[in-house]
Amino acid sequence: MAELDDVIHQPLRLKIMAALNALPVAAGLEFSRLKKLTGATDGNLGAHIETLAKAGYVTVEKAFVGKKPQTTVTATATGRGAFARHVATLQEIIAGKQG
Amino acid sequence: MINSREASAALADIDDIVQRVKQSQLYELASLAAVWWGVLVFAANLVTWLWPIYAVYAWPAVDVFGVGGLVALRVLNPPHRGASFDIRLLLVFVLFFAFGYLCTDVIGHFGPRQLGTFWPIYFMLFYSMAGLWFGYAFVAIGLGISALTLIGFFFIGEAFPLWMAFVNGGGLILGGLWMRRI
Repeated sequence: MAELDDVIHQPLRLKIMAALNALPVAAGLEFSRLKKLTGATDGNLGAHIETLAKAGYVTVEKAFVGKKPQTTVTATATGRGAFARHVATLQEIIAGKQG
Repeated sequence: MINSREASAALADIDDIVQRVKQSQLYELASLAAVWWGVLVFAANLVTWLWPIYAVYAWPAVDVFGVGGLVALRVLNPPHRGASFDIRLLLVFVLFFAFGYLCTDVIGHFGPRQLGTFWPIYFMLFYSMAGLWFGYAFVAIGLGISALTLIGFFFIGEAFPLWMAFVNGGGLILGGLWMRRI
């Protein structure tokens, strides 16, 4: 019986992973774009991205575009797999196989 | 473990964010296209205003570079990895321009002022209709430019091409930049 992924299950982390998973493989989202999409604050978003990065679900790249720092977050293959399993588990719960 | 109601809520959150990402990506591409057309239209209107005899060359050039730019955007940003170019995109433009020329040159014989009004409104009609499916920004930009074009047609005299440079060209550029911020 599949278990929900504790790292992904937190609402904001679920939104972050859903947003990154909707992109083509290897494509990432800028921090500011992610902030707008999720409606999170800078600090909250940063903390949750760090949790996802520690779990190996996302990579964080920092670069300078001109003089402006730009942070890009990308889902890893591990993260995409974990997200797919998490969604499958949610669907199983709705179908009444669990819970 | 969570119950099925909480699981449904989580899936609804996922669907919502996926839609927002797709909308955001669409606006990003549409923004580039709008700015590209805006620059071309601004330049062609200025040419029409300053050197009217060259307008006959400027507008076909806008059409060719405009459509070429859109095709390039689509090829560089395929809807999914490995997607081939969809020839229907070109056919849409062939039909669009064929119907436009049928109206302006065959059924009617429009003068420069009528042409300068018809094409932006015709273009913006499709823009607004597409917006009913793809997002309110298209509708707002389409209706806004159409309304300002009609104001120019009825109330602006000799300076109509200059008005259209700012209304149509400038409107598309500003609209495109606005889309990036939504």
